[in-house]
Amino acid sequence: MLLVPCPNCGPRNAADLHYVGETGARPDPGTATPEEWRHYLYLKGNRAGLLRETWYCRSGCRRYFVLERDTTTNQFADPPLPGPEIEGKT
Amino acid sequence: MADDVTFESPVIKTYPAPDGTRHGADRHDGSLTLSDSSSTAKTILRAGPETGVASRIGVGFGTSRTEPDVLIAGQRPGEWILLGSAAANRAVIDGLDLSGFVSVIDHTHSRALFRLTGADAASVLEKVCSLDWSDTMTPDGATASASVAKVTCDIIRADRAGIRSYLIACDRSFGQYLFDAILDAGEEFGITPVTLQESSRCRPVAPGPWRPPPP
Amino acid sequence: MSRLLYQPGEVIDRSRPVGLTWNSKAIRGFEGDTIASALTANGVRIVSRSMKYHRPRGYVTNDYWDPNGFVQVGDDPNVRSAHRLVEPGMIIDAQNVWPSLDHDLKAVNGLVSRFLTAGFYYKTFMRPRKLWPAYEKVLATFAPGGKVDLDSPHHYHDKRYTHPDVVVAGGGPAGMASAAAAAEAGARVLLVEHHHHLGGHLLWGSADDRALARHLAADVAAAGVEVLTDSTVTGRYDDNWTAIVQRNHPVAVERLVKARAKVMIVAPGLIERPYVFAGNDKPGVMMSGAVRRFVNMYAVRPGTTAVVFTANADGDAAAEDLDRVGVEVARVVDARQGENIVRAHGGARSISSVELADGVKVSCDLLVTATGWTAPTTLLNMAGDRPAYDESSARFFPSRPIGTVLATGGIAGDGSADQLVEHARATGRLAAARAGAAAQRLQAATPRAVAVDGPEPDGLADTRAPLPRHPHPGLFRSSTHGIVDFSEDVGSKDLVAAAQEGYDSVELLKRYTTVTMGPAQGKLETVNAVAVLAEARGETISEVGTTVWRPPYAPITLGALGGRVFEPVRVSSIQPWHEANGATGILAGQWIRPDHYGDPAAEVRNTRRNVGIIDVTPLGKLDLRGPDVAKLLNQLYVNKWSKLAVGSVRYGLMCAEDGVVLDDGVTGRLGDQHYLMTTTSSGAGSVWEWAENWLQTEHPNWQVHVTPVTTGFTSINVAGPKSRTLMTRLVDGIDLDPEAFAYMQVRTGTIADIGGCFMWRIGFTGELSFELHVPAGHGRHVWEALLAVGDDLGIKPFGLEAQRIMRLEKGHFIVGQDTDGLTKAPATGMGQLVKLDKDDFAGKPELAWALEDAGAPVIVAIQPSDPRIVPDEAAQIVREHTDEIIGRITSSRLSPTLNRSICLGQVLPEAAAPGSELTVVLVDGRRVTARVMQHHAHFDPDGERLRG
Repeated sequence: MLLVPCPNCGPRNAADLHYVGETGARPDPGTATPEEWRHYLYLKGNRAGLLRETWYCRSGCRRYFVLERDTTTNQFADPPLPGPEIEGKT
Repeated sequence: MADDVTFESPVIKTYPAPDGTRHGADRHDGSLTLSDSSSTAKTILRAGPETGVASRIGVGFGTSRTEPDVLIAGQRPGEWILLGSAAANRAVIDGLDLSGFVSVIDHTHSRALFRLTGADAASVLEKVCSLDWSDTMTPDGATASASVAKVTCDIIRADRAGIRSYLIACDRSFGQYLFDAILDAGEEFGITPVTLQESSRCRPVAPGPWRPPPP
Repeated sequence: MSRLLYQPGEVIDRSRPVGLTWNSKAIRGFEGDTIASALTANGVRIVSRSMKYHRPRGYVTNDYWDPNGFVQVGDDPNVRSAHRLVEPGMIIDAQNVWPSLDHDLKAVNGLVSRFLTAGFYYKTFMRPRKLWPAYEKVLATFAPGGKVDLDSPHHYHDKRYTHPDVVVAGGGPAGMASAAAAAEAGARVLLVEHHHHLGGHLLWGSADDRALARHLAADVAAAGVEVLTDSTVTGRYDDNWTAIVQRNHPVAVERLVKARAKVMIVAPGLIERPYVFAGNDKPGVMMSGAVRRFVNMYAVRPGTTAVVFTANADGDAAAEDLDRVGVEVARVVDARQGENIVRAHGGARSISSVELADGVKVSCDLLVTATGWTAPTTLLNMAGDRPAYDESSARFFPSRPIGTVLATGGIAGDGSADQLVEHARATGRLAAARAGAAAQRLQAATPRAVAVDGPEPDGLADTRAPLPRHPHPGLFRSSTHGIVDFSEDVGSKDLVAAAQEGYDSVELLKRYTTVTMGPAQGKLETVNAVAVLAEARGETISEVGTTVWRPPYAPITLGALGGRVFEPVRVSSIQPWHEANGATGILAGQWIRPDHYGDPAAEVRNTRRNVGIIDVTPLGKLDLRGPDVAKLLNQLYVNKWSKLAVGSVRYGLMCAEDGVVLDDGVTGRLGDQHYLMTTTSSGAGSVWEWAENWLQTEHPNWQVHVTPVTTGFTSINVAGPKSRTLMTRLVDGIDLDPEAFAYMQVRTGTIADIGGCFMWRIGFTGELSFELHVPAGHGRHVWEALLAVGDDLGIKPFGLEAQRIMRLEKGHFIVGQDTDGLTKAPATGMGQLVKLDKDDFAGKPELAWALEDAGAPVIVAIQPSDPRIVPDEAAQIVREHTDEIIGRITSSRLSPTLNRSICLGQVLPEAAAPGSELTVVLVDGRRVTARVMQHHAHFDPDGERLRG
């Protein structure tokens, strides 16, 4: 199970958190067109590479925060443990 | 409040105690006990970072401080819980500058509170909770929130006379379930339950798990 | 008897005999025996029948992986008999044989084996399709495996989490040496050994080997390593999340240990590989390790006359062991000299001779093969490695270094005992250093942890001298065809045929023929399968490649995966009273609640006539404080909150950003900056997170503290025309006069001597009602006080069912029951609550568009024409004379008040006008008519009763 670096609690099991989803700006509800609003609701970039994602630390600090994760390696930008790819470097 | 109305704990089952007492007794020899401490007054203090509360109280998130009559734990960023007598909790609050965005909420009735004490306490916890209970990651005084037997709990390590001890708080409605779940986990270590003296006003109820009939 | 005299390495205790039953015959073993060694000591040669052809089978590996050793032990099927230790009174039976192991009628399959080739199931039973049920029935009788006894008692399975610095997978010499070295360097080490004893191959080796095993075991103990034997590391997942199945726990039958290891050392050793030739699955053909374990660990003679086919030192040692204990070694066939075997001859009980490549036939009842090794790189695969084939050593090796997953022992290379131990110790030291660095990192990131002091540990760089690789001939298949996968009865001929049919990639071949998919999980057969395929394709093993090893390393029981079952249940503080007073419970979410106390219809009538009380504690309650609460409420709800006066409550409807109804409830203003919000019972948790999401991510400058207090209060709804009279008897400090405490107002005061209670006038039931929120530690006291003082008023408790009936009589929808994942606010009939002139609220744009959408289904009240017909919930509403669905019934009950059936439903706007005639299709297919009503409320549509 992935170890998620909660900025408050420290590294936590992914099961302790709720994955909210890709982080994106909410369009202005006063002016958004249906296309813009539904893009915000339903369309995700699902990029291969570094992705900004929102997490909620449900079992711990109860805070929402944004983390960067490389979706091709499952590595966070600042990993709590040295990953398998990092030979000799910790 | 009338004097004859006593607080009723969420743990209402009775357990035969091996020492012959009706409710069991706390022991201080390192043997394993699970005590119901739900009647402890619990006060939540929440304060924004711009207030002086955090620096005045001097307890950071993830840590706690034990004073003679009250334990203060930083259980979430900007949020503390005070565990003590109602008067002791109030005394701590009264000593603070509450100006600005500060909330004080009585949580006495909202949370069940148990104390798991004994040399094997960490071995019991690691059967029901995925946190690291080692002395380096969770030393005496450490406080954390985590799922215990699938119930979200606030846990404070508060050793007693050098013996490992954890305070475990959960939503009151889960209290009986969680008490039994921890007892079950502790059975292989010879755990003894210690329950509160029951209210004289409360009728005894049949012990044993109660489940709804199948649909 | 085949028991030998005392052997110096034996693990049996001859002073403790154990009585067993094998196929109804009494036999005897000793404590420390496996079932396999006990059976073999009693002269048993055949233990099972093969899966497809029902060929007689004997032990071939004599360890956990033995594909032929599955037996039934009591009610426990598929027991690995070469692993499970004997216990007094064990009842052991052969599996999947009829009528008996020695005379199995299904062995006739063997005669038709040419029809049971690769892809047999796909080809044979496809047509005609309608005959499949018949095929299935016949095939089921041929399915392998033991008998499951559904009446078996549930065993105690357990779960444990642990956070060692280093997990070592494998307790052979490399595992022991690395574990000890890591622990000596200060790491907390968990050493996991698959079999019953630490020592690995040293256990069945020479006197020197055994001495080394004792020495290393002493090091392990002295270093304070935690050791789990008879336990398997079954998987390695992200960030070294490690699954370990512990089979020898003193209390639990099995315990699943979930370890978060900072570093993992992979030291599983090597697994001996079978040789493929005609007759290689006959009883009496064994690998060198099997023979040496029988002789040296269990003092069992596996045969009387042996031929040994050897390509390595282990085969040579097996020949020496056999010779030493008096088994005649008729011939040593040395592969290194170019000698080979082509066929094992023999009858059903045992082989009788071996035919060599030069045509010579040697009589024997035991054929020992030692043709090489498979590296079980499973855990390395799971960490991202793709091991590479080394032709000169005829096995796979790790191909890339991994920082936190280190390999040592036979999986990493060869060498002398000293070389292997030194490599393992260096691996342990490296693991400890890297784990130390990881621990520092974890502590530094965790506020509750002990602060890190001191520099980062040294020795993080991998300076281990690589182990040498010894040459080994590549021996996979002889000139004849034989069995490749013993568990699945797949032969080399099947693989060649499948390749010719086009299934010539290894992953396709595996799925088409099921090779490697049996209980041995490829440990024995993968490399042979790849070699046979390579030969068929005319390529090398490297070019063909291998399948990816996936979890689990060894099969896991469902019990171990299930572990202890945690099913949290919640109860209100009144629940003991409910139980003691005849309530029938219902599980609603995690809550156990009273559904009724015997007669819900009577509960409805009494509440409408007199006064009733219901425990509504599960109602979600959020305490909201701060100067910006009204802003938060405006953001969460579709309606307006800025002008809610202190002492008032208001109904709110909450929608998600897509406009779909999320929750509803009432919120009361208790003080200038203090509100209490109620949510649906199931929405309590999600609405809290929803509120926090808005506060933390969109409006971090708003000052609001949201605190869940759901179970801090016991909530009791007091409903009925006599409820005010009842409340006046118990309430202190609140003026209950209708002018002073009007509908939709909230007051704080004392109830039955309990201070700090909230009370508001709302009405889900449609009656004059007071909802009390009492500090939970006194909830049962207030409940009992209400019943005591209301006796003369006819007070009775009512349950969830009566409440559901009464709310349906009033036409109140329930979120999630009458709404679904597409129901937006306007469809609920509450479109007028949506205030588009607010700057913002959740779902605003979608709701603006939804208000203009004339096509969405809407919620309406419906009454069947026949008042006795109560349609099932989810009954379809169709266009008259067609099957075109235009709606459905969402709630349906018989109303005790109106003495007729009443419903809520969703219908398309075309059929939603009051008075519209609907066609409802009942579950039995009957079509009945129903009518859309003027109001949602079937009863008291003007609400005169609740405002009274």
